[in-house]
Amino acid sequence: MTNNLDWINNSFLHQKLQRPYNSAPNCNIYNLLVCKLTVKIKNEVSYIIYDLTYRVGIDIGGAFTDLVAYDSASSEFKWIKVESTPRELSEGVLNCFRKSSITPEVTDQIIHGQTVVINTIIERKGVKVGLLTTRGHRDVLEIQRANRRDMYNFKYQKPSSIVPRNLRIEIDERVTADGAVLKEINTRQVEEALQKLMDEEVSAISVSFINSYVNPDNERKVGQIINRSQTVPTVLSHQVTREWREYERFSTAALNAYVLPILDRYLSRLQENLVKASSTCMAMASDGGMFSFDYARKYPIYTIESGPVAGVIGANGIAQAIGDKDFIALDGGSTTTKASLVENNDPEITTEYYVERDEFNPGFPVMIPVIRTVEIGNGGTSIAWIDEVGRVNVGPKAAGADPGPACYGRGGTLPTLTDAYVVTGMLNPDYLLGGDLPIQKELSIKAIEEIAKKLDLNVMEAAEGIIKLANENAAYAIDLVSVQRGYDPRDFTLIAYGGSGPMFAPFISNELEIQKIVIPVVPPGVFSAWGMLNTDVRHSSIHTYITRLDGPEAGKTLNNIYSNLEEEINNTFTSEGEHLPDLVERFADIRYYGQEHTVDVSVPLGNISANEIQTIIDNFHKAHEREYEFKLPNDPVEIVNYRVVGIKKYQKIHLAEKTKQTDQKNPIKNERKVYINGSSESIPIFDRDLIATGASIDGPAILEDPTATIIVLNGQEASVDRFGNIVIRSVKI
Amino acid sequence: MTATDSISPFTLEIIKNGLIVASEEMFYSWGRTAKSPVIYEVLDYAVGLINGDGDKLITQAPGIPGFTGVLDFAASEVVDMWGEDVREGDIFISNVPYISGTHLNDVTLVMPIFINKNRFCFAVAKGHWSEVGGMHFGSWTSDSTEIYQEGIQFPCVKLYDGGKPNRSIVEMIRYNSRLPDFVLGDMYAQVASMKIAERRVNRLVDKYGQVAVLEAMNKILEDGERYAKLKLQQLPKGVFEAEDWIDDDGISDDPIPVKVRVEISDEEFLVDFTGSGRQTAGSINSALPSTVSGVRETYMAMIDPHTHPNGGFFTPLKIIAPEGTVFNPQRPAPTSTFWEGMSHAADVVWKALAEVSPEKLSAGHFLSIEATILGGIDDRNGEPFAIVEPQPGGWGAGFDMDGESALVACGDGETYIASSEVYERRTPIIVEQYSLNTDDGTGHGTHRGGFGVRRDYRLLCESASFTVSAGRSKFPPWGVEGGYKGTPNYAIVYRKNEAPSRVLKVAALKLGKGDMVSLITGGGGGWGDPIKREPERVLQDVLNEYITPKTAGEIYGVVIDYEKKIVDSMATQSLRDEKLKKRQ
Repeated sequence: MTNNLDWINNSFLHQKLQRPYNSAPNCNIYNLLVCKLTVKIKNEVSYIIYDLTYRVGIDIGGAFTDLVAYDSASSEFKWIKVESTPRELSEGVLNCFRKSSITPEVTDQIIHGQTVVINTIIERKGVKVGLLTTRGHRDVLEIQRANRRDMYNFKYQKPSSIVPRNLRIEIDERVTADGAVLKEINTRQVEEALQKLMDEEVSAISVSFINSYVNPDNERKVGQIINRSQTVPTVLSHQVTREWREYERFSTAALNAYVLPILDRYLSRLQENLVKASSTCMAMASDGGMFSFDYARKYPIYTIESGPVAGVIGANGIAQAIGDKDFIALDGGSTTTKASLVENNDPEITTEYYVERDEFNPGFPVMIPVIRTVEIGNGGTSIAWIDEVGRVNVGPKAAGADPGPACYGRGGTLPTLTDAYVVTGMLNPDYLLGGDLPIQKELSIKAIEEIAKKLDLNVMEAAEGIIKLANENAAYAIDLVSVQRGYDPRDFTLIAYGGSGPMFAPFISNELEIQKIVIPVVPPGVFSAWGMLNTDVRHSSIHTYITRLDGPEAGKTLNNIYSNLEEEINNTFTSEGEHLPDLVERFADIRYYGQEHTVDVSVPLGNISANEIQTIIDNFHKAHEREYEFKLPNDPVEIVNYRVVGIKKYQKIHLAEKTKQTDQKNPIKNERKVYINGSSESIPIFDRDLIATGASIDGPAILEDPTATIIVLNGQEASVDRFGNIVIRSVKI
Repeated sequence: MTATDSISPFTLEIIKNGLIVASEEMFYSWGRTAKSPVIYEVLDYAVGLINGDGDKLITQAPGIPGFTGVLDFAASEVVDMWGEDVREGDIFISNVPYISGTHLNDVTLVMPIFINKNRFCFAVAKGHWSEVGGMHFGSWTSDSTEIYQEGIQFPCVKLYDGGKPNRSIVEMIRYNSRLPDFVLGDMYAQVASMKIAERRVNRLVDKYGQVAVLEAMNKILEDGERYAKLKLQQLPKGVFEAEDWIDDDGISDDPIPVKVRVEISDEEFLVDFTGSGRQTAGSINSALPSTVSGVRETYMAMIDPHTHPNGGFFTPLKIIAPEGTVFNPQRPAPTSTFWEGMSHAADVVWKALAEVSPEKLSAGHFLSIEATILGGIDDRNGEPFAIVEPQPGGWGAGFDMDGESALVACGDGETYIASSEVYERRTPIIVEQYSLNTDDGTGHGTHRGGFGVRRDYRLLCESASFTVSAGRSKFPPWGVEGGYKGTPNYAIVYRKNEAPSRVLKVAALKLGKGDMVSLITGGGGGWGDPIKREPERVLQDVLNEYITPKTAGEIYGVVIDYEKKIVDSMATQSLRDEKLKKRQ
């Protein structure tokens, strides 16, 4: 969660990259030839698409910084991966440029995702924040929702408020739930409170009032008073979200203030150092869109999941190219596995997001649009261990990049999933990153032997057991996004990336009877950075306003709110120096009157009259029945949240069709003994790059490229599609 | 070679995970498709798999800890009562508290899962039905004096017979509930969730074989028992006793004594409630399955709060609760507010062990959920509204930490207290205050208890009715090792032209426009002598306005220089010396 090291081979790279770069100028930049494809966009409407020639995606994680460059003129696509520089992260980005043939001067656009925001929160390294809030509600951030997520722990402690009580000051003001101002702001009182916070030397202020989601006037007035005398950054809660629920909104606003000066400083450094005047710097957002650095400076919290969601956007790019509408993205990382289910090429966006949440920790709510993803503690460097009563487990503890799996020979002695792969022969010890990284198989064997002895198994049996258990854990992530939400995984294509994703996928597919796996042509280690080049500028606005659809004024209310929200979106685009959006979409979260859970329903554009309202209601009944398996056709229906999304289309990377190879080399490199399903057998090893388009390979087989290993099981068949993606299907034997 | 030898420990682990996922999937399925908020929001339900003999819990997924001990009772009841007549496709329905239940609202369905015509295991789903008849809307009440006033009883009868719904029972339910559509909707979702578990178990058997799955089930129980015993060895051994009082039963003002003797050995964790009060006329009685749940909460906290509990894990736990007492009431004792009794079962065991297990247990917490109902007709649209909620309160200090403020009580878990903004939008009230209750203080100590809350609801419509049940008011949360007692739970009613009145238990009190109720919960107990509290922490508490300067001086013996916002160390030392001297 804390980083984006998206593959198990990270640590190999780590070692590799410590060598001087000029000694091996080509081994970390892979040039792939790409050519243009026709752009296919939703509903076949054509848009003016920004045709920027040279674009760069940069994904900065805790351990590595990845850069992918795409030149639409030469159709060239390059990537590089370097170590992150934790003390001054922008240095890592500059290193990417310095150590590659890509120069910032020629780039027209940089799209940037980072972990600065999430790490600042997790490490509690944000600034001192003061809060001005409504009289009687000082403790909202401390009471939270009062739930005990760790329910049998009688010494449970919830996360402490990032704003301590002495910096939470009450103001006499009140707005009611229907938006009336019950009590006006008293300027002098606000000034006194402000002075108190300034005396405490706060570096940011959050103004969070009850019911400001309905009427933000009082928050705005306080914002103006602060701006009159102070330059301290100020976050008004309604600016970050206009959804109801005070704890969730206050928390989002407080966290935004907490990280604001930190991200601001980081982005400024970056910009000063690398950008020529004509290029634009864009920040990747958690909803899969992007926006300007200046916007990110004001709303840093929107970028909190910017790395992981870019992977889903990348997977969507692959899915669209191959014409698959419904897929599950599986991102097998070094310490965790993430999964996201996408229907109709439209990633699901939710505002129910929590930072630091796990089985026993409620985390902090962050009520911003985020692509829905689940994460479990099982990845390539997960450690296998035996508990006090002899039960075996894999994860959630992981060896990470340091010390890494035992086979790295860097001090790690505990057996990891990677060691199990090495022992069984699934991973080729001589061909990691093209053979540049030596692996000490004997250290893997030694580590696995320890656990095998305790279980009274031989080393192969133990290694295979570890792999099976890890596969089962990864399958659970898929289970969470599909079966447990009413979807059948068999209806979805599995798109697997990250270092361990392609190794999990064939096993998981057998388990869950998934028919088709796709391993993208893009190197898994930089897949997120690649995904960033597939995104558009996107701004959304959400507003809670409860509206019964059977009321006489419903049409009028809907028209009013939607046109206000659309105007708000247009203003955001304009003030960001963008043209107006190409595409505007309306949605509503709707529920049965008296119920709590809502369903997301698409709403027609333009004027809404009785007919359109009936359509909305009909669509709601259908959606509710699909999601919850019942409908209440006679019950009144109400809107809870209105949402509008504006999108300005950018050019995507076009997946290039591979040209027919003329000099066909034999793709089979050799054979290797691999222990699988209880016995060792000789399995052919293919060089992924040499497999001809359209060729098919029967499992068992292993396909290797410098950054990933793909296992094809008995009863499965792999082929290379016209873009170079590997497609694995199960075949009836 | 036996089956055990041939199945790899990894395969067993995978099957075990599969069985856990079966429970989880049942849980999500019911939650997702239920019609009543008490299921999908309050999570007042639990599901699980029980072994084929019906006596051991294999896996479970509870929404709240209060349901930790009740699933196995229901499966046992089916086996005891129906024996050979338990057939494939049957589903049994039960809710009688004395045998397998809690209160009549909590209805359990039990479905046997058959493999090759043999009973393999049971799926069990138990949850709160919104309405099962009885004297008041919603069925549970604090003024019942016998079970017959609390709703319809399902004495473990066949709701499904050979795969088909038993229409006679379904019609009985329809005619005995004030909300038949919701209740039957929830019931069909409950049935569907059990069928999902059945499919999961079948898939595991198809893939790994019946022998392996059975072996995995046994392994779960064996490992659970081994694990519990291993942990048991690390606990302090001996006999530990505690006594306490339940405020009253809501009918008379008499307090009810509770008493426990806990004996921990390497093999056993014995809990004996002998000496506790007789069953009461009011509905606070905790039927045996509830008492077991309460004790299991504390047992979990002691052994390992993060484990997946199962029947094997609970094997070392033995509970003695004499018949006819508040912890094992007999027909026709009412049990509709059983959580009042149940939480005391958890709490008194906790109290007996806190001092000897300081790394696991805190001092006493506010305990009562202070169940609140505020409802009436919303003048704006003529429609009914109701707030039904527990209140959060202060938890006790630990030997190494201050108590947490504003958390739900031990019987509640992943229970979310509703947002003020949502209430203000949906109901004709304004939440004037929802903040920590620092006015009443807390249990002071070297480590102090957490704070309760104060929540003020002002009524904006012409009339409404207010019900509250605040326990742990006459006997506040206990402190440990010289830590002070916590503070009481109560409510204050502010009515026009009347002096504010402090109340503990009221039913259906009429309120008018502009009237206000304050729901107030107490602070948790303290741990250790307050005079030993680090002065710096006292200073922070004063600066954060958790405690007053007066308290800092009088109770903690700390003198603060308010100009400089620092502790006056010299003055503090002499004040503390003086206080210690006075005590001798």
